[in-house]
Amino acid sequence: MDEGELLQRCELLVEEAKRAGADEAEAAMALSRSTETHIENNDIHTVQSSEEATFGLRVLVGSSLGFVTANDTDPGLLRSRAAEAVAQASVTPADDFNGLPSPLPLTAVEGLYDDAIAQLDATYTTETTAKLIDRIRSRDQRVRIDSGSVRASVATVALASSTGIRCSERSSSLDGYLFGMAVDGSEVASFDYDGESSRALAPFESSLELAADRFVDKCLAGLGAGSGESFKGTVLLAPEAVAEFLLPTLVGALCADVVRKGRSPLAGKLDSTIAWPGFSLIDDGSLAGGVASSAFDREGLPVRRRVIIDGGTLKSYLYNHYEARAAGGDIRSTGHASGSVSSLPGIGPTHLEVAAGETPAAQLLSSSEKAVIANRFSGSTNPVTGDFSGVVKNGFFVCGGEKRPVKEILMAGNLFSMLEGISTASIERRTIGGARLVPTLRLEEISITAG
Amino acid sequence: MPESLDVLKQALSGADGFVELRYHAKASRSVEVEKGRVERTQARHRKGVAVRVLDRGGWGLASTGTLEPRDIKKAIAQAQTAARASAACKRSAVADLPKVELAQGCFDQPGLEELSGRPLEEKISVVAKLEEHMRSASPAIQSASCGYSEIFEEKSIVTSDGAAATFRLVRPELRLSAVASKKGELATGAESVGVTGGWECLFRNGSGEYFAEKAAKTATDLLGAANPEGGRSTVILAPSIVGLLVHEAIGHTVEADFVQAGSVAAGKLGQRVASELVTLCDSGRSEYYAGAGGSIPVDDEGVVAGKTTIIREGILESYLHNRESAAHFGVAPTGNARAWEYSDQPLIRMRNTYMEPGTSSLEEMIAGTEDGYLLEGPRNGQADATGEFMFAVQEARRIRNGKLAELVKGVTISGIAFDVLSTVDAVSNSFLWDLGSGYCGKGQPAKVDAGGPYVRCRVLLGGEQ
Repeated sequence: MDEGELLQRCELLVEEAKRAGADEAEAAMALSRSTETHIENNDIHTVQSSEEATFGLRVLVGSSLGFVTANDTDPGLLRSRAAEAVAQASVTPADDFNGLPSPLPLTAVEGLYDDAIAQLDATYTTETTAKLIDRIRSRDQRVRIDSGSVRASVATVALASSTGIRCSERSSSLDGYLFGMAVDGSEVASFDYDGESSRALAPFESSLELAADRFVDKCLAGLGAGSGESFKGTVLLAPEAVAEFLLPTLVGALCADVVRKGRSPLAGKLDSTIAWPGFSLIDDGSLAGGVASSAFDREGLPVRRRVIIDGGTLKSYLYNHYEARAAGGDIRSTGHASGSVSSLPGIGPTHLEVAAGETPAAQLLSSSEKAVIANRFSGSTNPVTGDFSGVVKNGFFVCGGEKRPVKEILMAGNLFSMLEGISTASIERRTIGGARLVPTLRLEEISITAG
Repeated sequence: MPESLDVLKQALSGADGFVELRYHAKASRSVEVEKGRVERTQARHRKGVAVRVLDRGGWGLASTGTLEPRDIKKAIAQAQTAARASAACKRSAVADLPKVELAQGCFDQPGLEELSGRPLEEKISVVAKLEEHMRSASPAIQSASCGYSEIFEEKSIVTSDGAAATFRLVRPELRLSAVASKKGELATGAESVGVTGGWECLFRNGSGEYFAEKAAKTATDLLGAANPEGGRSTVILAPSIVGLLVHEAIGHTVEADFVQAGSVAAGKLGQRVASELVTLCDSGRSEYYAGAGGSIPVDDEGVVAGKTTIIREGILESYLHNRESAAHFGVAPTGNARAWEYSDQPLIRMRNTYMEPGTSSLEEMIAGTEDGYLLEGPRNGQADATGEFMFAVQEARRIRNGKLAELVKGVTISGIAFDVLSTVDAVSNSFLWDLGSGYCGKGQPAKVDAGGPYVRCRVLLGGEQ
């Protein structure tokens, strides 16, 4: 099926839903094809080819909601799935905030599809994987690749609704991922991982080589880890930790559904200071060639660049259509309806960017006697309170200008208090996971417990 | 016998070399209520056939979303092409799989009809009432949420070397969460339960109201609780945390693919890795009593999923295997090959992982602890290649002079798994499956359960300095 046929299939499903008794309906479909070579234990393992069509149907009977998703998009089966969604809605309590949005003008995002990726086959992913393994093993035999993969995929997404939304988009993706650790004699170091994603073929292989080099460096850095010291003081949060520890909880608390449910400590803080004055956060789903970019969100509404936190001041929550209606007033969806066609629209960010600071990374600890560098954080953060506690991974203890790897070192505090306790950020920034552009942050007054 | 088994047998006829066909249909439904509003009801259907081929020492995998013989034949050809691509670049070829006894027949699990016979309205109503029950438990409760989900699965596995098995099962789950607030302070309490079985089985350890009241009470009790002082401490772990410990910190390190990559368990078979009070197992069956959430009768390679003793009285006895790793180590496969969706490759995964009970009573264990903590309810957990683990704990109660004392909040425990197991000095005579709503992540999810008795040991406690 091409884009036009997929869109027609969506329209057919909307018609079937209306015929089954829906007052409003929205159908989203995705057609995806991929080839993936898996790594296991330093060697190529399974080579996989997949192709699948899936749909998600959202219906309203009055203001009661029903949702069905399936991977059978055959026209003959759609009727029964539409009837199932309507039957489900008919036994679900009504909610006046349920509704489907009306169309808004969309602007295509450049660089989401590269036909060269569509032409790649198992030979490409397997040979690229073999080169990747060779590169890592030739750099240092102590690095073990437990698992990983190289994947080439193309997808088409289409969406149609009874309120007049009609949109579709093609995208391509190349993804590489490595997971493993260093083993030196009887010593086993901590897990680490790295990866790369790209919408286009051209930069992928060289970017993946850089990811492989980072992976090797990170794995080896964990060897020889010793004990640290318990203290309360400075922690340097490296870009991986900013992207994977700080941002998920912070952005989670900015989603309008969490705010509405009374589960966000940032509720009622619009236009208030919530972070260090140098901290700004931007979300941009319209970034050309971005791995999280799209012309439209999960409800078919336009995706745009938006400043979320500006100089420490909270400027916006993230809304989908439902939450904008529930919030009332002149609030509209911010184009943050998230999720795949297989799930009801949720709320989530796209590309997140934390503003760079003014201090070179190498000077972030110049005035500190004692500190911990946290490259990763393996722990638990209570999203309601912000309290966190967990183990610093790939961590270093810095004392009197000396830096050494540490293990069994726990970090505890409150994430929302920590935002105001940021003392500086690095000039340098790194892209993590393709969709997070972040600096290193220096934090103060963090409790560290050493084993 | 379901139609899928016959179709697979037919599609397999005439295929060259080792071919494995797996039909997997999943139908799930979920309901979520929060703050008096039905947040979502949704149904999900996903089905298809995975074809795995071992050709010239390389694995190939392809899939189709239909049960049509012509589509399965096409997928077999695609998997063969993929296997050859793998073989062309592999450093070492996969040896032919040795002959083992493979499952044949129908292995349906209980609870299917009982659960499918209950209408959606009833399930929505129960979820809404439980959510309301939490909100009305105390004026301090400012919001609550309750979610219910169920997954019906049908699997048929046919291989060119003799497997011809089929089964159906169902896994319902209930999750409850309450948020209490007082003078700007927020605290949460959560309970969850999940089983392989029907509605009655889901509530075998307590009614929905019991879990709702427990979640609300935890949230209100934690208001005003202080943070603990960090450091190395004596702790008594509840069965849910014991389950998380044996799954995350031990179970993953003994998955044979990970052992081959160099986990801390590599080369330790036959060695002492824990106190002699520790016997640790992983089973496809629900040992002790019915309903463990990770139960499977047959794995996704057609191997009967029995019980494997990983550690016996402190000595490491076995790893967890699929057919390929079992051949590598020269042992029998343990029935641990599992795939989450029809299109996923089977990986070595745990099922129901547990520590066997001992002889002490919980009361004796508390009375014998001069200074420590009783830890109940894991919030989440991770473990490392080194065996280092980190678990967040919902409820930590101080033990002073052999008596339970005040509650503390925000507790995280950490340690090196084998070191911690070596410090075990008391194991209770009770047993509980208590991680049935858990999902394990390893590139793809897996439904697992874990549990055990109460266990006393020493760990590193995260807290304030």
